[in-house]
Amino acid sequence: MIDSIVPILIVTLGAGTPLIFAALGELVTEKSGVLNLGVEGMMLVGAVVAFITASNTGSLWLGVGAGLAAGTAIALIFAVLTLTLQANQVAAGLALAIFGAGFSAFVGKGYLGMALQSMPRGAPSLLSGVPLIGPILTELHPLVYLSWLLFAAVSWFLYKSRSGLVLRAAGESPTAAHSIGYPVIRIRYLATLFGGAMAGVAGAYLSLVNAPLWMEGMTAGRGWIALALVVFASWRPARVMLGAYLFGGVTITQFFAQGSGIGFASQAMSTLPYLATIVVLVLISRNLTLIRLNAPVSLGKPFHPDR
Amino acid sequence: MKIVTRREFLKSSGALGVAAAAGSVGDAFGQPPLMVGVVHQFPIGDVGWETQHSLATKAMEAAFPGKLKVTVVTDVQQAQDAERVFRDLAAQGHKLIIGTTFSQMAPMLKVARQLPNTTFECCAAINTLKNMGAYEARNYEATYLGGVLAGRMTKSNVLGWVGAFPIPQVVWRLDGFVLGARSVNPKVTCKVVWINTWSDPAKEKDAVSALISQGADVLAGSPNTPVQGVAAEERGAWSFGNCSDFSKYVKQKQLSGDLLDWSNAYIEAARDVMAGTWKSQSRWRGLGPSGYTKMAPYNSAIPADVLADVQKREKDIIAGKLHPFAGPIKDRDGKQRVAAGAVLPDAELRSINWAVEGVEGAFPKA
Repeated sequence: MIDSIVPILIVTLGAGTPLIFAALGELVTEKSGVLNLGVEGMMLVGAVVAFITASNTGSLWLGVGAGLAAGTAIALIFAVLTLTLQANQVAAGLALAIFGAGFSAFVGKGYLGMALQSMPRGAPSLLSGVPLIGPILTELHPLVYLSWLLFAAVSWFLYKSRSGLVLRAAGESPTAAHSIGYPVIRIRYLATLFGGAMAGVAGAYLSLVNAPLWMEGMTAGRGWIALALVVFASWRPARVMLGAYLFGGVTITQFFAQGSGIGFASQAMSTLPYLATIVVLVLISRNLTLIRLNAPVSLGKPFHPDR
Repeated sequence: MKIVTRREFLKSSGALGVAAAAGSVGDAFGQPPLMVGVVHQFPIGDVGWETQHSLATKAMEAAFPGKLKVTVVTDVQQAQDAERVFRDLAAQGHKLIIGTTFSQMAPMLKVARQLPNTTFECCAAINTLKNMGAYEARNYEATYLGGVLAGRMTKSNVLGWVGAFPIPQVVWRLDGFVLGARSVNPKVTCKVVWINTWSDPAKEKDAVSALISQGADVLAGSPNTPVQGVAAEERGAWSFGNCSDFSKYVKQKQLSGDLLDWSNAYIEAARDVMAGTWKSQSRWRGLGPSGYTKMAPYNSAIPADVLADVQKREKDIIAGKLHPFAGPIKDRDGKQRVAAGAVLPDAELRSINWAVEGVEGAFPKA
């Protein structure tokens, strides 16, 4: 079992990464008061555009960039609908999820079932000599490191920077933020676009790194899991990380358990990641006062400066 | 061949219904072409299950130039929709309607009962009617050969299998694979991981990583995507593809694969319906010129003696001299399932739910 720990960790870190990108992006969006339920759709569009770009250019990073841009573009549609045109956020978000699934299938028609050759990863090898952590660090994809960077950046931005405070103000009390001169709509636009961009990167990670191929609906519900993570993590970035790795970790551990003959019905084991993640996050976030403190008060409520 | 999606199809079928049947062109003898409908559950991709059916449609059209008028309907995901599509195709005058997946069996049975003058064929169906036949691949013959390759090529004596669902169609492929491997290398074991989905490539890849980390150096399984091979190649492991030939994506490390080739099923059905000699039957065929399964191109890295052995066994299987499920066969709990000198009967093979000796890992209780 000890020998399995390193490979389990490596695969877990990989499996949690798309959830981290998508969930941290959505976290920032929700902190600004915008509830975008279309993460799954934005991820799918990011995945297909990234795949098409990478398979035509042969470049992983161009693919990731294209996925980011595509996610942003889809989020822009949502932002125009809900922030400028004041459409209902829940309805628009659900529509976005469905639209993304259909649109990605349409765009990816000519690429369905295709796969990419495995791509060079170019991970740092400085630490390869360190026991236990060394082999893990060298095996990881650069995007995994970027997800850690994103975590650090989002945590710093939200809780240590002035602009983060303003963004949270827009999510807590847009009227107050507006009355002291902050452009609430613009802030919410930027936060929504950021969420879309990160969902696009999450999709790109799935279609380029995790399984280098395009398949309709290949995100397989990870967008919805990311949404749930944000809520169950009570809008705290560190808990999002914990939830994402827990989810990935339990998924992977049950594969290892199956392979070594431990375990009961595989169908029941497939439900474990969902159960474990929800139970743990609910337990650590069960303090009602803290939930109220962390949840953006104006989440999902439209704001118009003239009203 | 005309490909329409379900939505376009339902939109146009009402208006065009009878016109399509009446407006068909005749061949030199004045006989109108046979209208054939093929219904896919998902869109047709570059490789995979739907692709193999699409290739069979093309082969059928090429076999009877000018004599067929084929309508292909794709993306009919729900059984209820399939029922409507079957009915509409029949109303438009399609005399032969081909279903491409097990989940279309129930709606097809329902429609076929009500439309006795239309001929139906359903892939992987376990029930037939007077006007509805079934076709299915004995692909365990090919996975047996894949197992022989794996058993000879493995260094670690551990094989890995990523299974979608533990249904008979997957279990007989797995058992065939392990029987083949252990026929040449009794030390071999095969670790199995079930991912309980047909369409989550990321999970597939994670399962491959888990198996390789546990020592597997030849990977095979049931998901119909190249992911497994690509992921294995990345880690330097061999793979045995399935469904389609993945060698254009898995350039170095694909040993071979079991391909589905339904051309014979389609061509024979169209031929017999046109000749008026079609009879309902449940056709279950493996390797060979009239079969439904083929080996993917062999990797050039396979040593000549191994290849010769595999090819000899392939001939023996086609000639009926070698049956992968010939006894003695024990299951993984040590219970004898097939006695020496006996062969597992088809009826038991069609519903197989036990793993042979050498299969390790979680397996549903038989």
